[in-house]
Amino acid sequence: MLLELKNIFKWVNSGGQRIFLLKDINLSVEEGEFISVMGPSGSGKSTLLNVIGMLDQFNEGEYYFFDESVHNLKEKHRSNLYKEYIGFVFQAYHLLDDLTVYENLEMPLLYKKYKGAERKAMVADMLDRFNIVGKKDLFPAQLSGGQQQLVGVARALIGKPKLILADEPTGNLNSKQGEEIMELFKQLNKEGVTIIQVTHSEKNAEYGSRIINLLDGRKV
Amino acid sequence: MFKHNIVLYLRKIQKHKSTFLINLVGLSSGLACVLLVYLWVSDELAMDKFHEHDERLYQVRRNVPVAPGVLATFSSNSSLMLTALQEEVPEVELATAVYEFDNNASLETGDKKLSALGIMASEDFFNVFSYPFISGNKNTALFDVNSVVISRELANNFFGEGVDPLGKTLTITEGEEEIDEVFTISGVFEVPRNSSQQFDFILPYNTFLKYRDPDDIAWYSNSSSVYALLTPKTDINAFNQKMVDFVSKRNKYEEQVLFTKYSDNYLRGNYENGKQVGGRINYVILFSLVALFVLSIACINFMNLSTARATRRLKEVGVKKAVGANRKSLIIQFLSESLLLSYFSLGFAVVIVLLLLPWFNTVTGKELTFAIEGSMIVTLLLIALLTGLFSGSYPALYLTKFSAVKVLKGKINSSFGELLARKGLVIFQFSISILLIVAVSVIYMQLDYVQSKNLGYNKDNVLIFEIQDGLLGKVDVFLEQAKQLPGVVNATYMQGGMTNFSNSSRGHSWPGQTEESKHINFRHAHVGPEFIETMGIELKEGRTYINEKPNNESKIILNETAVEVMGLENPIGTIIDMRGPNREIIGVVKDFNIQSLYNEITPMALLCRTEWISNLVVKIKAGEEKMAIASLEKLYGEFNPGLAFDFRFLDNQYQELYQSEQRVSTLSKYFAAMAILISCLGLFGLAAFSAERRRKEISIRKVLGQTVSQVTVMLSSEFMKLVLISIAIALPISYLLASNWLSQFAYRISLHAGYFVGAGIAAILVALLTVGSQAVKAANKNPVHALKDE
Repeated sequence: MLLELKNIFKWVNSGGQRIFLLKDINLSVEEGEFISVMGPSGSGKSTLLNVIGMLDQFNEGEYYFFDESVHNLKEKHRSNLYKEYIGFVFQAYHLLDDLTVYENLEMPLLYKKYKGAERKAMVADMLDRFNIVGKKDLFPAQLSGGQQQLVGVARALIGKPKLILADEPTGNLNSKQGEEIMELFKQLNKEGVTIIQVTHSEKNAEYGSRIINLLDGRKV
Repeated sequence: MFKHNIVLYLRKIQKHKSTFLINLVGLSSGLACVLLVYLWVSDELAMDKFHEHDERLYQVRRNVPVAPGVLATFSSNSSLMLTALQEEVPEVELATAVYEFDNNASLETGDKKLSALGIMASEDFFNVFSYPFISGNKNTALFDVNSVVISRELANNFFGEGVDPLGKTLTITEGEEEIDEVFTISGVFEVPRNSSQQFDFILPYNTFLKYRDPDDIAWYSNSSSVYALLTPKTDINAFNQKMVDFVSKRNKYEEQVLFTKYSDNYLRGNYENGKQVGGRINYVILFSLVALFVLSIACINFMNLSTARATRRLKEVGVKKAVGANRKSLIIQFLSESLLLSYFSLGFAVVIVLLLLPWFNTVTGKELTFAIEGSMIVTLLLIALLTGLFSGSYPALYLTKFSAVKVLKGKINSSFGELLARKGLVIFQFSISILLIVAVSVIYMQLDYVQSKNLGYNKDNVLIFEIQDGLLGKVDVFLEQAKQLPGVVNATYMQGGMTNFSNSSRGHSWPGQTEESKHINFRHAHVGPEFIETMGIELKEGRTYINEKPNNESKIILNETAVEVMGLENPIGTIIDMRGPNREIIGVVKDFNIQSLYNEITPMALLCRTEWISNLVVKIKAGEEKMAIASLEKLYGEFNPGLAFDFRFLDNQYQELYQSEQRVSTLSKYFAAMAILISCLGLFGLAAFSAERRRKEISIRKVLGQTVSQVTVMLSSEFMKLVLISIAIALPISYLLASNWLSQFAYRISLHAGYFVGAGIAAILVALLTVGSQAVKAANKNPVHALKDE
């Protein structure tokens, strides 16, 4: 078992009322799964993803990641955990504009304290694998959206995570570019990486092995 | 990681050049201010600190009641004080007495003649003070009455470099003490640049005693300075308690003895009612503060611009946090950026300081050097480190506090507190600037007033030069011939100078004297018969000395204040006892200022005597200065062959009374300009940012029908409010500071609203120009472009 959510609740207080973002979510994810989270706007998809990615807190419930109880962990251990096992892919790519493709890929490794030579090898490997060696010295603004997202995925993968969390990874792409990214995910999944993606598109959801539907913070 | 941060930062600089330039210009000028003031302050603080026993080196002062309830502090002492201290006070390890000549003496050997300033000092002078002694025996050099110790510079001028002058002789003539003798050189010393006292030669104190009238060697005759080296561990407060009546128990006058640290003289030399009340230290503190303010204004620019542009940085924070960066590493990143900027600025500041140092030296009257070495490098790096940490701290803490999710979803709104902080910082900047504008105008107006005030005499076109060498004893002959010269209006002689009648006395008596007025202190000077005419002093009643004998023991002229405090109804013809019995008051002059305008006019007497006179005063015709000076120089040369005609203009001498105020005025002008400039740079940056942030709002407003001028007003008013608040804060403070500064002057301008309104308007105009240009630019943009971008 990669991770397990038990009776997760998350809410915000607004005007004396408690508004639930997540309501009693139970979910277990095995290693090697490819899960698509679907649902209308505001149904809690992104919140769920952020909770799984440990970027966001929840108010009630239990969360186990590799049998580690996340809800009892201190901030520092939690960040070590996701630093090591989780990679993020964002809808808006979120590459750093002032860094080249090469430097964007290298950046996460800096925070994981890899040595210079190691970093070089890992970045070179990733550039190779995504076929973007020729673009390594370009800045994000010089790339097309699809290419930027490719770099985004490469950046998520470079730390060799067990789990990739993708929040509408194809939302800003045209259909052809989107398809390429989904094919890439499928390929990565085959190689053993667990993927959880949030998507609006039925077609993209089909790439996954399991679909979870959310409505008003509840699994349906 | 470090390299990564640097690369990222350098690219940001490239991208946001204007922000970077604002910060660079601001911080480097701020740092340059701090560095210049640092050089100046460390030089000021080091003054007189080179003496080995600085900690226990004291000067003996006397607090003397000059009016009921008022003590004046004198540094002069009787020569008897020296022996009394040496023999009777166990706490005094060593003591020395010094007599300072007011005028240059002329020194002659072979065919060389130089004029130089000297002192007369007792045997232990070189053991009490630590002036470097280069040649001879410092313990015995001042023992023999016919010996003289000279400075290395004087030795080099007379005998050339590398020649040992020991044993050679000098003929020294000095008018005041009427010395004219041959002295044998017994030692060579050096006076370091950071010594507040500068002199070229030293005669033994025994020579001084030899030339004195034995009657004048008494407790009431105070003409020397006395310095004492106290034994280690002497508790100065207890010691002062013990010594307070040291003189009064030997003297019929009431006075208190006070020991003050010698090295305090320079920075804390002002005394008020017997207590130390500061002095130059006030300016040291003032300028340190002003420099720090200028630098902090620049730091604030950095903080404000960094946090205002936060949206641009927040994405980076979010992404980095999402890939595993912790807050600490991000804080380090932001701090290293501000440190980098600060070190960049330091580089520029060093260049600025090197370029400005000659100018700064002229303004401050110093010879500061800026050697980039050893401890200076450490200091520089430390200053830049603190600047970087200070200016970087707020942005670093602020920008890194947001969580990744919020940042990446763009849910960050400027919090109320953040806006308040930014506004507060702008208000701080402008308050300081307004304060400085008021300060500059008040100082300027007061100095202008001081220059133009009617002093009661005419200081224009008056030459003053010392009676030296060949003129000694021939003053009358010289004056007679001088008066015949073309362009010369009048000529006379006097004791001391017009800017400071240094002699004073008390214990006089007159008819109708009360118990209270017994202690009144009178200033007096010996002057020539035509003094009042030459100086253009107005006579109130009676007559001047013009038809009297030059050496006159029976007549006296007083000023108005003196007559008033003495309570004389019909002063003319009254016989009084003052500097000699049975003097008839022949005239009363209107009050005239004989000191700087810090001081009130005091009771004063003019005595017609040739004794102790030291200066010649020549009034020349306006417009004929050149001719008059040339002919005077020729005449002077006939009396003093080989000696340069070293004259001064009286009005220049008067200006020198306010030298430190002039310096303050010049410096504060530049500092104020600097503060305003940097504040405006910051405001410019903020206004540009605000216009950018509100682009969409502006466009919508324009589409809905607002005119360009309405939009401009709307954008400008956001900042004008802050400037108005700054004015409200700064004006009361500046009023307090200004009236405090002015209160030191006995004669001063009155503070009227104009200064404050003017400063306020100046601030508003400057801010309006800065912000307005940005607002107009933003308001004139085509709204379609902005709306399309969204």
